[in-house]
Amino acid sequence: MPHTALLNAAMLRWLDELSTQGIFTTDDSLIVRSWNRWLERTSRRSASTVVGQPLFTAFPEIVDRGFQKHYEAALTGSVSVLAQPFHRYLLRFPTGDGSDGSEAMPQSCRIAPLIENGKILGTLTVIDDVSERVKSEAEMRRQIASAVEARMVAEDTLRIKDEFLATLSHEIRTPLNAVIGWTKILLARPSDAQTLQRALSVIDRNATAQARLIEDMLDMARIVSGKLRLELGPVDLVAATIAAIDVVAPAAAAKSITIRTALSRAPRPIVADADRVQQIVWNVLSNAVKFTPAGGSIEVFLPEAPAPIQLTVKDTGEGIAAEFLPHVFERFRQANSSSSRTEGGLGLGLALVRQLVEMHGGEIRVESGGRGAGTAFTITFPEPKETRVQPDADAAHLKGRPLTGVRLLVVDDDADWRELMMVSLTGHGADVMLAATARQALTLLDGTRNQLPHVIVADLAMPGDDGYALMDVLRASDPPLRSIPAIAVTAYSGEDHERRALEAGFRLHRSKPIAPDEVTSAVLEALNR
Amino acid sequence: MDLTPQQQDALIELLNIGFGRAAASLSHLTGHRVVLEVPQVSIHPIEMLGETLEKVVNQDVASVHQIFSGPVAGDALLILDHAAAGILKELLTDEPSLPLPVDASGREVLTEVGNILLNACLGTFGNLLDVQVSFSIPHLNLDALNTVLRSLLVKREGMRYALVVHAGFRLRDAAVTGYLVIVLSVASLDRLIKAVEHWEKGLN
Repeated sequence: MPHTALLNAAMLRWLDELSTQGIFTTDDSLIVRSWNRWLERTSRRSASTVVGQPLFTAFPEIVDRGFQKHYEAALTGSVSVLAQPFHRYLLRFPTGDGSDGSEAMPQSCRIAPLIENGKILGTLTVIDDVSERVKSEAEMRRQIASAVEARMVAEDTLRIKDEFLATLSHEIRTPLNAVIGWTKILLARPSDAQTLQRALSVIDRNATAQARLIEDMLDMARIVSGKLRLELGPVDLVAATIAAIDVVAPAAAAKSITIRTALSRAPRPIVADADRVQQIVWNVLSNAVKFTPAGGSIEVFLPEAPAPIQLTVKDTGEGIAAEFLPHVFERFRQANSSSSRTEGGLGLGLALVRQLVEMHGGEIRVESGGRGAGTAFTITFPEPKETRVQPDADAAHLKGRPLTGVRLLVVDDDADWRELMMVSLTGHGADVMLAATARQALTLLDGTRNQLPHVIVADLAMPGDDGYALMDVLRASDPPLRSIPAIAVTAYSGEDHERRALEAGFRLHRSKPIAPDEVTSAVLEALNR
Repeated sequence: MDLTPQQQDALIELLNIGFGRAAASLSHLTGHRVVLEVPQVSIHPIEMLGETLEKVVNQDVASVHQIFSGPVAGDALLILDHAAAGILKELLTDEPSLPLPVDASGREVLTEVGNILLNACLGTFGNLLDVQVSFSIPHLNLDALNTVLRSLLVKREGMRYALVVHAGFRLRDAAVTGYLVIVLSVASLDRLIKAVEHWEKGLN
């Protein structure tokens, strides 16, 4: 055999046995004439069952799926490319990984005429398995899509923060303008009683609004940093709701908004932080007042037991567009953040409400028929467990004058707080001494050697020597001074501060803000009573 | 070698028949209505081809290349801007675009589109001349325009003229223009033009 012929034979054998593509040929009557090893393996049909058969009989799917025209074209000299994205596959083979074959192997194909000496002898089909390529491109698309998504989320977050900052500066300045403006007027010239009254009420209203705003921000910051702690006790949700309605009633009346209630006549007790429950109900109600136009109405429902403890506040306000509903409880979100918005506020209120409700183990839902169709907020609180609805033990404890005969020293640089303590603790029967600084406290202690206090209640942060310095001196003293129990009552809250105070030698740590009665309870605890 | 206005009109008319078939195939493939138009044809000496194409496409091109042989022989190319190629494959496949160099599937789609277009165009000429041309397997290149053209110049010294056909794709409210370049010998081109003229007379 001439060398070239040998070479051709070797090449054919290679294509037949070793090629990593499917290769088959037909003659010019489209009878299959060769079927390589790759095809045998991949199609699970041996060459002996395919070769000699008319192509369209062996693979009727070629006709069913409209591919016969490519074979007809090949017999006139044309080449066809079958791109996988358009056709998926030419012949239905099980997937390359040998799995059950429920999905066809993605293929890329070429169908070409076989021509010798200008005569078309038949056709050649080359099939590539492109499973890997399809997978990796899908993965690449997925990655690109998720990168795009991430960038959009990041841009969205930035935009929301920018809007929030713009809102924040506006919201903080607006009440300040009123306060500063009226203060300047009052300072500049003597005012008659009517003007004075007007000015003070404007200042009062704006300062209160400002305080509310700052309080919301701080609460949110506390929640975010996990520092907000609930003082749980039994709370009657009905009473809390009525109290909150009382607070928003003037604002509602000013807009001629009617508030209708259908509240349980019997108390609906929950285990909650009383102040926070107030805050929750107040926020939802004032939100309703804010977004209900003049002359509208608000309905408040809280059904009798045994219905679930569910407070619903429904308004006839402007409603919420369906696309904004999922974002209602997100921080810094307002449906209209443009400068033309008519309602003030930071967009923190509802986010706070949700956080607080969830901290109580409850949930809040919002429903709206869309723009102009009003909104309904429903807050569900968990049923209290029987054992937890005890009457307030501390409150019972404080009946009468539990501190009679107890001498107390209160050390705090805040004069208002000292006065409050004096009134409250003496009201419970204690003898109270007051000191504004650690130094003053030590002088007092020095002068009352025979009448030393039974308990010291001290602030931690004070100008000059602070509460820790005071404790250092006391602990370094001789008994009995050394053994007087001390309570740290401080605005430094959180576990770190508590641990530090206890390590310094304080018997107890209580965070401000704190109700005066809780100080009394702490004193009793320090005395082991 | 310039085309007379009559020859131009006749060629455009003839090419539109082939493009109509190609558009029907593409519409069927993609499930979208694809319209293909030939707004312009021109003939240039192959040395001037670069200058002509540079006016309409950037240097970065995707080109589908097929060699055809038979009584009429030459090179046929579909040349698209990278940007146009990206848009076209996205429009055709409904898939978000990957960059062409890493998008083998996208390149294959463009190869099939080029193949359909070149087949339709040359098939029409073949029918007209009553000759059978056969084709090589189409190949997609992502080379600079200069590189693509240089390969034509080097390979086929006898080929003197290029027929440049503007191919306007319209689908899904978008329009993309590609350029079909058919490089022929003077004799083949002459034969083709005469046949076109003859065909047009037969119509009238």
